[in-house]
Amino acid sequence: MKRPVSISIKQIALALVTGLLVMVSFIGGFAAWQTRNVSRTLERSNLEAAQSELVAATERLFRRTAAQASQLARWDETRQQLVLPEYYTYWRDQRVYEGGMLNSRHTRAGLYDTLGQLLAPSPARHSLPDKLPYSVTPFEPRSWIANEDGSFIYYHAFPVYSDEAQRGLLGYGLIRVDFMAELLERENFHFIDMASVALALKPGETMSPADLGSRLAFEARANPSQASFQRIMSNTLLALFVLLAGTALIAFIVYNRVLVRPLKQLSRDIEAMQQGRFNPASTRGQGMHVTELDTIRRSLHEYQLQLRELHGSLENQNREFRSQARQDALTGCYNRRAYEEDWERFREELKHAPQGVAFLLFDCDRFKTINDTYGHAKGDRVLTIIADALVMALRANDRLYRLGGDEFATFLARTTPAQAKQIAQRCQSLIEAAAFGDIGINEPVGISIGIAFCGPSQLEHIAELPKQADIAMYTAKQPGRNRIALYGEDTERAAQTLVASRETSALFQALATPGMIEMHYQPIHGLPDRKVDYYEALARIRYNGDLIMPGAFLPVIASRRLETEFDLAVLNQVDADLESGRLPASVGISINLSAQTISRAEVVSHLLELSRHSARHPLMLEITETSLITQMAEVSTYLELLRTVHFRIAMDDFGTGYSPLRYLVDLPVDVVKFDISLISKLAHDNRAARVVADFARMMSDAGYSLVAEGVETETVLARVQELGIEHVQGYLLGRPVPLEKLAADTGELPVQAAHRA
Amino acid sequence: MRLALLCLLFWLLSGAQAAVVTQTLRPGIVASASYLVGDRDKPAVLLLHGFLQTREFPTVATLAGGLHDSGYTVLSPTLSLNIPMRAQSLACEAIHKHNLGEDVDEIARWVLWLKKQGHSTIVLAGHSFGSLQLLAYLSGRPDAAVKGYIGASLIGTQIGNTLDRRMLIAQLEEQVRSTPRALVSQPLSFCRKYTSTPSDLLSYVRWDQARTLAALKQIRLQTRLIMGDADGMAGHNWIKALQHVQARMVLVKGANHFMDGEHEFDLLEHTLEFLEHIGGASAS
Repeated sequence: MKRPVSISIKQIALALVTGLLVMVSFIGGFAAWQTRNVSRTLERSNLEAAQSELVAATERLFRRTAAQASQLARWDETRQQLVLPEYYTYWRDQRVYEGGMLNSRHTRAGLYDTLGQLLAPSPARHSLPDKLPYSVTPFEPRSWIANEDGSFIYYHAFPVYSDEAQRGLLGYGLIRVDFMAELLERENFHFIDMASVALALKPGETMSPADLGSRLAFEARANPSQASFQRIMSNTLLALFVLLAGTALIAFIVYNRVLVRPLKQLSRDIEAMQQGRFNPASTRGQGMHVTELDTIRRSLHEYQLQLRELHGSLENQNREFRSQARQDALTGCYNRRAYEEDWERFREELKHAPQGVAFLLFDCDRFKTINDTYGHAKGDRVLTIIADALVMALRANDRLYRLGGDEFATFLARTTPAQAKQIAQRCQSLIEAAAFGDIGINEPVGISIGIAFCGPSQLEHIAELPKQADIAMYTAKQPGRNRIALYGEDTERAAQTLVASRETSALFQALATPGMIEMHYQPIHGLPDRKVDYYEALARIRYNGDLIMPGAFLPVIASRRLETEFDLAVLNQVDADLESGRLPASVGISINLSAQTISRAEVVSHLLELSRHSARHPLMLEITETSLITQMAEVSTYLELLRTVHFRIAMDDFGTGYSPLRYLVDLPVDVVKFDISLISKLAHDNRAARVVADFARMMSDAGYSLVAEGVETETVLARVQELGIEHVQGYLLGRPVPLEKLAADTGELPVQAAHRA
Repeated sequence: MRLALLCLLFWLLSGAQAAVVTQTLRPGIVASASYLVGDRDKPAVLLLHGFLQTREFPTVATLAGGLHDSGYTVLSPTLSLNIPMRAQSLACEAIHKHNLGEDVDEIARWVLWLKKQGHSTIVLAGHSFGSLQLLAYLSGRPDAAVKGYIGASLIGTQIGNTLDRRMLIAQLEEQVRSTPRALVSQPLSFCRKYTSTPSDLLSYVRWDQARTLAALKQIRLQTRLIMGDADGMAGHNWIKALQHVQARMVLVKGANHFMDGEHEFDLLEHTLEFLEHIGGASAS
């Protein structure tokens, strides 16, 4: 799930303030827009009112003029002037005004005779046409508007009759009105800006009043209420905006001081805590204005103090745990984990400080046997003593690591191969001098030490040191060695190492590939007729044409704990050989098994299956007396089971183990095979020979069937026969041979071929 | 209430039988008169309105109606004052291009007109300044058909109190000589500013109270003055002066100069009484 993008509280505040201002701006803009609409509506109304006002004013002017004309036409004094015009100018300039006919200085009147001629010239200022420009129809007045030198003059001509019945035309009257001046003076305009009123009429041009509307241009007077309304609205909006902006700014500052800063400080403190830089003293005195935040701060502070204490405690514990984690609980030396960490770090250090390095690998000889024999408690004590001795033997700064089981290691800095060997020898010496007898172990306990060295100029190969030490260790454990081996010191060991590596590969390949294990059969002869009663099946590994002997691969099996797999492979091969029918009929087959595999169900199952050959070939199992049998009761049960299916049980290599009598007592053994190391004693006439002879007789008397192994001389054969040992085995009478050769020597044909024959 | 009903009755009756007659007095000057035809056996009455008024003046119109109702023929002219078909009271400030001679001439023309209509006995009746204009006519060469004179609220020409009449006359006579066409303004009768030419004005100014009394004294006709004792325009001295010349005069108590209100009946009653007297005399 995608983690949401986090934003700071300041950004939220800014967003809120910005949003508020945007909203206020939007509302203000909307209000301004509405105000503008209202203003426009008012302007339109104002314009319409102005137009109506102007139209009404002009109509009033026209009506007033028409009424004045009608009054003048009926006025006695008007008729008097048309008859006796002697004092016409007096009438024109005074009487029409005194008599109330005309009441404006912008309005003039004139009289024309029936021919349309003006009775007397009019003043230049208020000139009237000398002759009526239009023919005025009797009974019908006539009016027009003229542009006279930029002044718009409204004329209204009317007929004057002698009496009310209009029986005789006396002449005509003409009223001249200064249109604009009259409008301005007589009318009180509320909506029109009179300065803007203009008439589209060229100088000298005339027009009908009916066309006035289309030629009259004007502008509405600014409505003071509207302007006031707009100003008030604008001021209100501006004040509102400023107020809200100021409030938002103050709120932001307060918000920033009261919330953002403390939260930021808290955030910094938490971040410092995460990075381990938090200083409680720096925030202890800083109070916060918000109670909740102050509570959080104090809680955080207290929590941090507790956390520090806890952290210190955890560090101590961790240090202790780390120490424990790096320490081997049994021996007190460093464990495998410490080894891996130190080895890695040491290799890194070597990159900056090249030096000679030796890697020593220690392995306790026959520790498994000791452990099995004396129990784990004793085994653990042995390991402890070995570890103590090794630590004492190492230099002061050298560390001893227990890699597992009885295997120890150390790497020596600033050393040479000779120094490493010297230290290894000191280790062996101290172990040899160790008091294993104090814990009830009388057998000698030794260690094998494999050494690998890498010079300062060969540090690129330092990663190979553990493996080389392991190979050297293997070399050191070879029989006849002095238990200390330095990798690469001579070609022989290198070759051996090569062989060892080859045998290991051969072993694993043989376990995975049926047929690679090849069984050789050595005859076991009955005495005294020396008839072959059994063949002991001995395993070899055919690898790349070469035959690898048990001495080469058995240690590998033991070290790799491959006994069960190997025994199963041997049983498969023996089964195949028995199935082939090439083994001489009625001759028994003796099979070697390790004591551990007897307790494995699959091995037992396989043996039960193998028992089908018991009718043709008596079968015998050889349990090596030197191997450790820890599950004595279980092994005894399985052996009893196998005896029921006609397996005979033989104790192999008797005399080389640790507790042969116990095995004989606890296990259902039928046959005891005396090891060559005992049988060879019979060739001499000494106390050892006598002991062996007495022991053989005692075993025979106890009912055991005896087999003498390793009979290689006639002397020994004669002595064995003299002692009453029933069977012998050795190079004297027969070497192990492969099945093909055995079949060829005995003339055995495969079962199928025999049946066909 | 009674007066309102009476006025309504007069209006209905007079409206039904009145006729407007005209005659051209001078070129372009046509004058009109209301002619109410009555009993041919009775004297015809020429009834003249007051100063600058018309025959529609209430006192005159009411009296004309009353006389006609009583069977008298009544001719009520409106003096033209040199205005064609004058129908409105002429303002004091108007250009008065007329004089007393022309007024007297118009009266004479209307007397002749009545004679042409077959009225052999004519009684002249005037109100206020009309009484003076009729008196001016009678002081000249009145027609023989004119048998009687009724002067209601007779008054002489008043010129205000600012200037002596003799000095005014002298000034006007000088102006007549020097600037005869110039217009002069002068308080006259009830006008505070009467605008006219010097000669025309002079024709009226000459008729002061003395000349009026003299003219009245010289009349050889049956005369009847009907005066209100509350006539503020004439004044008590004028009534005493009339009594001093032993004019036959009826003094209506409480009546003012216009004889309006209930005094219209007094005016009509005294007029009818005089007409009956004239009628009886002419018949005998």
